[in-house]
Amino acid sequence: MRKVYITGLGFITSIGNDLLTVAESLRDLRHGMVQYPPFQKADVPVKVAAPIRDFQTDSTDQEDWLFPARYSIRRETLRGMAPHGIYSYCAMQQAVEDAKLTEAEWSNPQTGLYAASAGSPFLLGHHLEKMRKQGVMRCPPLGIVASISGTVNFNLVSQFKIKGASTGFSSACASSAHALGFAYDEIALGRQKRMFVIGAEDGNVESILPFAGMRALSLQADPGLASRPFDEARDGFVGTGGAAVLVLESEEEVARRQPKVYCEVAGWGQASDGHNVAISHPEGSGLRVAMENALKYSDLAAEQVDYVNAHATSTPIGDLSEARALKAVFRNSPTRPAISSTKALTGHGLSLAGAMEAGFCALAMKEGFMPGSAHITRLDPACDGLNIIRATLPHRPQVVLSNSSGFGGANVALVFKSAS
Amino acid sequence: MAQAVNNSSGITLKPFTPEDDANLREAIKRCSAATYEAAAQFRKTGNIEHLPAIVLGIIERYVEPDLRAKLKDADDDLRIIEDLGIDSLTMMEIVILVEDVLQMTINNEELRHLRTVGDVKTFIECKVSGLPLPKPTKFIPIEQILSVMPIQPPFLFLSEASVNAHGANAKYKISGQEFFLQGHFKDNPVLPASIMLEALGQLAVLFLLEGQVGEAGKVVDHRTIFFTSCEGVRCHRVCKPGDVLSLSIKPKRLKSPLATFEGQIRVGQEKAAIAEEITLTFAFAEEAARPVAAEAPVQAGDAAAPKPAVSARAS
Repeated sequence: MRKVYITGLGFITSIGNDLLTVAESLRDLRHGMVQYPPFQKADVPVKVAAPIRDFQTDSTDQEDWLFPARYSIRRETLRGMAPHGIYSYCAMQQAVEDAKLTEAEWSNPQTGLYAASAGSPFLLGHHLEKMRKQGVMRCPPLGIVASISGTVNFNLVSQFKIKGASTGFSSACASSAHALGFAYDEIALGRQKRMFVIGAEDGNVESILPFAGMRALSLQADPGLASRPFDEARDGFVGTGGAAVLVLESEEEVARRQPKVYCEVAGWGQASDGHNVAISHPEGSGLRVAMENALKYSDLAAEQVDYVNAHATSTPIGDLSEARALKAVFRNSPTRPAISSTKALTGHGLSLAGAMEAGFCALAMKEGFMPGSAHITRLDPACDGLNIIRATLPHRPQVVLSNSSGFGGANVALVFKSAS
Repeated sequence: MAQAVNNSSGITLKPFTPEDDANLREAIKRCSAATYEAAAQFRKTGNIEHLPAIVLGIIERYVEPDLRAKLKDADDDLRIIEDLGIDSLTMMEIVILVEDVLQMTINNEELRHLRTVGDVKTFIECKVSGLPLPKPTKFIPIEQILSVMPIQPPFLFLSEASVNAHGANAKYKISGQEFFLQGHFKDNPVLPASIMLEALGQLAVLFLLEGQVGEAGKVVDHRTIFFTSCEGVRCHRVCKPGDVLSLSIKPKRLKSPLATFEGQIRVGQEKAAIAEEITLTFAFAEEAARPVAAEAPVQAGDAAAPKPAVSARAS
């Protein structure tokens, strides 16, 4: 098995649209929540979201969109994109620049791309309404590729002329963690020498508010309190969108190119709850096995883990089951790992979450810190026995675990190891 | 609801309400003001003189800004895909907007053959006035050329081709691998002028085989086509490996058993060769059984055989 390293990152997130800002936000625990204007209506009980700054993508006509001047995107590129398509495109630009890749290095049969998003309910809804009102032949020709699940891989594979393996992953909030896990496999097994991994979501009214019906969203109107994983008073998650891109490369490529290395991807594991379509197992059984598998396949013991980036989204049930799974895995550990959920800062990015948080872990390992778990006023007593850090620790973790759980009880744990 | 009226162009006009006007403005908000004016006038009056301005205005809106200059002084031969960088999906966007603005329906089959700005203008005009559509230009890929032509590699000098009632166009790239270039000339490969004439002859053969002669239902038998004569052949440019020949022929007289064409070859914008007349003999399929009346017939594929009075060098 070949070793796999993370050599490039790109972020369009609620806590920053570049590496520097994201690193500062994580270190200083600056959150990205606001009272989201489209939610400020009497019939919408949810008030807070974590939107993307410096982009304007609320029109169904891509040519109305505004985006930072450093990105130049032609109309014909834009027309097949959802809002999270443009976020992905921009994050991808950052990632190839960060990894210092040339086009020849990313456009070849040994370089692939795995992506995850839930598609764009916003554009899909608009197109279906147009079809019903104006007839089937008036749907925009690129309406489908812009809006269905898979839109991120369709767009980026063609725009960046990716020639290697490409597909999309669909396991809801575990999707982009799955994408990273399988991308790791492609390189470890020697099938690809380089993989891009992308997680992305629109993070707008249509992608967030349907979760209100499940009672999964926080109704807290204070942006500083709405997302507080592991707090006793947590009442649901805060929605966000954006895109995160990671560049994974084989040890041979790293030896050849000598890029900057964030960390090694040591391995990953997954397991399912087999329990409920939308509710996590009360004991976190699937997540526990996923973590155990991840450590086993990475040849690491639970005692070696320094930091866990928890999935914890700030829902009462989900955080509790993860806390139980963590307790089960790290029970006998003499040095309990530091645990935090960066969703307190970003909100929950759904399909984006796994890749975004893997990127945060890589950034934290390179910069040498462990981000704190923000917004905890009173820790849920169910978390007793876990080292949930309230403040950022200025140490470089050597081994990091990142958890993701999705609908249907899909659980993924990713393991990163310091490259030095 | 106001009654529909007929105007002088015979187009049934639906009333143009303020709501229609608002929808029209929204639909073409990214087109020039002149496009809106023309569209509004057309919707009010049905005057088809406004159509070119509308259609060009809509196409312009979808052309990348750096290519729009081409459209400003475009003739009708400007190609939508090759010259304006518009792909088939953008073409679909153009169609949807045209449908919306002109309140008409265009189906996919009708669109397939629209390749030039002129094609689009003619098509829309016929469509709006209810006239029959002209027989569209047919684009013939190499696989199809190979399957219909009696002439085959290594003596086939056409790659892609297009044929309509007014003539035929084709391209041929001189690869440098052509067998005769080894000796023509020693250490200095130059396409023989006889081969240029041959290539034009082959394009004329393709024109005949694509059914652009005679009444409907009559098919030219490929075994009956032979070269008979040529006149006024002049070469203007030496053509070498790497050059892409743009061949075109136009029929001058088509009457069984003779078909006479004029032809020319360009390389880019440069004139390479012209032939004032190339004449082939041919017969229709049912006549093929009968002996062909032609003077000293030579298989069209051997046009080079009775060496025409041309110089291999540019004159």
